[in-house]
Amino acid sequence: MISTENLKISNIYVPMLAIIKSITSENKVNDIKSFELVFKNENDFKRFKYIPGQFAEISLFGVGECPIGIASSPTEEGSLLFTIKKMGYVTTEIHNCEVGDTLGIRGPLGNGWPIEHMKNKNVIVIGGGFAFSTLRSLVNYIIDEKNRKFFKKVLVIYGNRDPGEVLYKETIKKWKMRDDIEVILTIDKPYEGWNEKVGFVAPVVKEVAPSPDNAICVVCGPPIMIKTTIAVLEELHFSDDQILNSLEMRMKCGIGKCGRCNIGNKYVCIDGPVFSLAELKKLPNEY
Amino acid sequence: MTTESENQEIQNKIRNIATELLNSKKVDVIIGYVNGTIPLDASIDFIWNSNQVNKLVWNNKCYLNLAKFLVSKEPQLQNPKDKKLNIGIITKGCIGRSLIQLYTENKIDFAQIKMIGINCNGIIDRNRIVKELGEVEILEINVIENDIVVKFMNLKGEELIKKFPFSEYLSRSCKNCKIKTPSSTNVPQSSCYGDFQNVSNVEDSFNDLNEFEKLNFNERFNYFEKMFKLCTNCYACREACPMCYCNLCFIDQNKPTWFGKTNNIYDIMAFHITRAIHLAGRCVDCGACSQSCPAGIDLNLITRKLQKIVKNRFGYTAGIDPKIKPPLTDFKLDDSEEFMLEE
Amino acid sequence: MIILKTKILNKNDIGKLIIELSEDYNFYAPLKNENGILIFDKVFNIKDVILDYFNSKFPPKEILFPRTEELFKFKTDGKNIIEIINQPRTDIKNIIFGIRGCDAHAFNLMEKFFKSGNFQDDLFLIKKQNSILIGIGCNLPKSTCFCTSVGGDPFNKNYTDIFLSDLGDKYLFEIISDAGKKLLDKIEWLVDAKESDIKNAENLAKKSRTLFKQTLDLKDINTILDNQFNNTLWNSLTNNCIGCGNCAFICPTCTCFDVIDEFYPSKNIGRRIRVWDSCQFDIYTLHASGHNPRNNKIPRFRNRILHKFLYYPLNYGFLGCVGCGRCIQICPANNDLRNTLQALKLDKINKEKMEVKK
Repeated sequence: MISTENLKISNIYVPMLAIIKSITSENKVNDIKSFELVFKNENDFKRFKYIPGQFAEISLFGVGECPIGIASSPTEEGSLLFTIKKMGYVTTEIHNCEVGDTLGIRGPLGNGWPIEHMKNKNVIVIGGGFAFSTLRSLVNYIIDEKNRKFFKKVLVIYGNRDPGEVLYKETIKKWKMRDDIEVILTIDKPYEGWNEKVGFVAPVVKEVAPSPDNAICVVCGPPIMIKTTIAVLEELHFSDDQILNSLEMRMKCGIGKCGRCNIGNKYVCIDGPVFSLAELKKLPNEY
Repeated sequence: MTTESENQEIQNKIRNIATELLNSKKVDVIIGYVNGTIPLDASIDFIWNSNQVNKLVWNNKCYLNLAKFLVSKEPQLQNPKDKKLNIGIITKGCIGRSLIQLYTENKIDFAQIKMIGINCNGIIDRNRIVKELGEVEILEINVIENDIVVKFMNLKGEELIKKFPFSEYLSRSCKNCKIKTPSSTNVPQSSCYGDFQNVSNVEDSFNDLNEFEKLNFNERFNYFEKMFKLCTNCYACREACPMCYCNLCFIDQNKPTWFGKTNNIYDIMAFHITRAIHLAGRCVDCGACSQSCPAGIDLNLITRKLQKIVKNRFGYTAGIDPKIKPPLTDFKLDDSEEFMLEE
Repeated sequence: MIILKTKILNKNDIGKLIIELSEDYNFYAPLKNENGILIFDKVFNIKDVILDYFNSKFPPKEILFPRTEELFKFKTDGKNIIEIINQPRTDIKNIIFGIRGCDAHAFNLMEKFFKSGNFQDDLFLIKKQNSILIGIGCNLPKSTCFCTSVGGDPFNKNYTDIFLSDLGDKYLFEIISDAGKKLLDKIEWLVDAKESDIKNAENLAKKSRTLFKQTLDLKDINTILDNQFNNTLWNSLTNNCIGCGNCAFICPTCTCFDVIDEFYPSKNIGRRIRVWDSCQFDIYTLHASGHNPRNNKIPRFRNRILHKFLYYPLNYGFLGCVGCGRCIQICPANNDLRNTLQALKLDKINKEKMEVKK
C-alpha cells in the first residue's frame, strides 16, 4: 500500500485506507449502521486531526465516495466512528461490507462546530432522528474529563419516530448516568414500554424552555424539525448567532473544487457544513 | 413563389393567428421562434400577450423542435393551481409529427394545445455552410429569392458575399421530408389552426442511406468510431429531442450504472447508439439533434436508418396518425421474428 | 509590463520552430479536426497547423484539464482494495501555441481557483506550471467577443510566457516571462525586432480595440447582481435554455467535475476518475434522498450567471468570465449571455428609479 507521504506532489483526491473494526446496527429496520474504522497505517491517525462537526469522504473503491459526519469525538482515540444510512448507491454497497473489509477515508473536511465560541457557555444540543452523529461527537468531546470544565451546562434534547430509531443507545445510557449533563429523549407517539417524553422535538423544546442567556444552541435533524425548532428558539429569544446548523448537500470532492455543493458563494464542504442561522439568512435559499 | 416570399407569407400567417388566439383567450401562451442574436441562429420564446406577437418570426434557421417544450417540464408552462394552461405552438411538419407521437405516448393532451400549422419550406444546414465558409465571421444570413445569401467578414476584415442554392443546402432531414405541412389525420380539429393536410401513408425511398448501406458490419463500426470521436458529451442532442423525456436518462442512472460517462469512444458510442435504439419507431426526423450538435456530428443518420428498418418491418412511420399504435408498444401475430428465432 | 526580449519569428520558420521544440515538449497549436472544426491539438504534421483564425471553437482548457482525468488507480484482491497507485505524471511539458489573450487569462483564473483555499489541486497545477503559453494578439475581434468589457484586451500579454503579434508575414515575438526566456535559449536563431516592428504591433493593438462591435458596461456587474437572487426576471430569461452542458463545456473558465469510480472485476483493478460536469444538468445537485435544491432549469441557469459574475468576485476578487463569447456562439437555443446581463442591469436601474420616485 502506497500512502502519498513520500510523493513530492500531494494528491488531494487520494484517500487513506482503513479497516472496519466493528459494525453496529443502530435501528430495527437495519438501514442505519455505525462503522468503527481503524487506519491501516498507524501514522494516518496523526494526519487525521479533527474537531467535532467535521466530516470525511468515505470510499468504497470501485463504487464511489460519500460524505459522512464523524460520529466519534477526537477524545475517543484509536478509531473513528461513522454512522451511515442506506440511501443511495454508495451507502447501499457500504452496508454490504463486513468486519475486516477495507474502506477509504479522506479528511477531516469541513469547518466543524465552533468549539472556541462554545466555551464558557451553556450548550444546548437538539437533534432529530438520524442527524445525530456529529452531535454525539460534540457531546462526547465536551463531557470528556479534559474538556468538561471549559463548558457550562449541557442539555441534550433528542427526538425520534420511535424507541427503535434512537441512535447510540449505549452511549446515551452512559450520558444519562452522569450528573453533569441533562438528557431528554422524546418520541413522536406513545409507545409501549416508553416512560420518557412523548411529542415532537419543537414542542418539547418549548416545554423545557432553555434560557438564551449565555447559551449556544446546536440543531440537527430533518428539515421540518429544524424549521419548527428554530421557530420555538426564536420565541424563546435566542438570537440568530446563537443557533447553529449542520447542512447536507450532494458532494463529490468535499474540498471545494468540483463546484456542486455551493449555496450562493459559499461551499458547504469548506465554508460549512456548520452555519449559524445568522449566516444562513444571508445566503440564498437553495438548500 | 420564391423561398423569400414564402417566408414572408408564413411569418404573417403566424402573427395573425397568434394575435387571434391570444386575444380570444383560446390560448394563454404561444411557443414560437424569435430572432436570434447572431446571424446563424433563431431563438425561441414564450409569448403571453398579443402586443408581443411581432417578436414571432419565421425563417429558415428555425430548427429547434418546439414540441420539446411541452414535455420538458418547463417551469413557466406548468399549470397554475386552478386551471390548465392552453398552449399555442408554431407547428411545422416535423413538430406536428412530434406532437402526434407524444400524444400516442400519453405525454400531451390535444385539448390543451392549439397548433399553428405552417407550410414549412425547410431549414438550412448551418453546420455545412459554416464548414464550407471556413474561418470567417458570418455577418448576415438571408434567404433572397431562392438563395441563401451569406454576408461574411474574412480574416483581412473584408466583407464578402457568398450564395448557396437554398434547396441544395437544406439540412438532411428537410431534404428527405415528406410531411412539410403538419398532419391533421385523426387530430381534433379544434387544435388545428393555419395550414394542415390529411396524411394516410408516407412513401420514403430512404435513398440518402445508400452510401451508408454499402458498408459492411466492420466498416460501419469504424464509421461510427470516427463519427463519435468528436462528441463532447454535452447532451444537447438529448435536450433538443422531444422524444427524450425520461425523468432520469439511462446514462445518468447509477443503480446500476449502465455505461461510463467518459470521453472514451466506446462510452460515447454506447450512449448514442442506445439513445438511437430508444428512438426506434419514435423519431420524427426533425433533425434538431444534428443541428444542435456543437461538433457537427450527423446524428440524424442513425435515426434515419432506424426509421427505414421500422418502416420496412412494420410499415410504420412515426407521428402521422394518432390512431395507429407504435410498433414497439404493440404486436401483431404475423410480425416477422427471424432475428430472434432460428429457422 | 516589462518585455524581457523582443524578436521576430518569420511565418516561414514556424515549421522549424515546431520541429525543434517538439523534441522536448508536447506542441499544441490550432488545427482542424475531422469535421473541419478549429481546435487546439497536438501537432503531428506541420502542414495541419492553422495560423489564420479568429479563435478555436473549443477552448484549449482540455489540454490542462482533460475531459476525463484519472485521479488514481487501485488494485484489489478480489474483495478488498490492497493498493492505491498514485503516480501522476509530473514530467509532461507542453507548449500551447497560438492561444488568444482571453484563453490565457482563463488559464490564469483556473490556476487561481485550483490553488485557492486549503487544498491545492496539483493535478492541474503541475500541468500548468509545466506549460508554456505562446499567445497571439487578435487583430480582428469577432462580434461576440467582449474581453474588453471584463477587464481584458485583444493584445493581453499578461498570463502568457511569450506573446506574438501578427505583422503579416512575420510575428513580433515578445518574451514576457522567465519560462519564455528559457525557451528562447533553445531557438537562438530568431532575429532581433526593429523599432518599426514594435510600432507596427502597437498600432495593430490600438486598431483592434476600436473594432469591438459592442462593449457591455460590466464594471459593477457584481453590485448589480447582488440581491438579485429572488428577482422573477430569471424566469423569462431562462425560457430559451434547453438545459444541455454546452455553455459549461465550451467555457474556458468552467471547472466543475463529477467523480466516478470504474472497476474491472476480471482484472482486479479499478480507478477513480473525474469527468467534466455542468451545473445545468438536473442531477448535478440531486441528493440521494431525492431532494434537489435546484430542481428546474431556472435556479440552475441563475446559478451559472451568479457564479461567474457575483460569486467569483465575492470569493476571489475577480470576474469568472474572460469575454471569449464562445457560449453565445455555441448555445443550441441562442440563449445570449449579453442579453441576460443587460436585462438584469436594466431591471435593477428601473427598479431603483421607481424607488426614488416614491
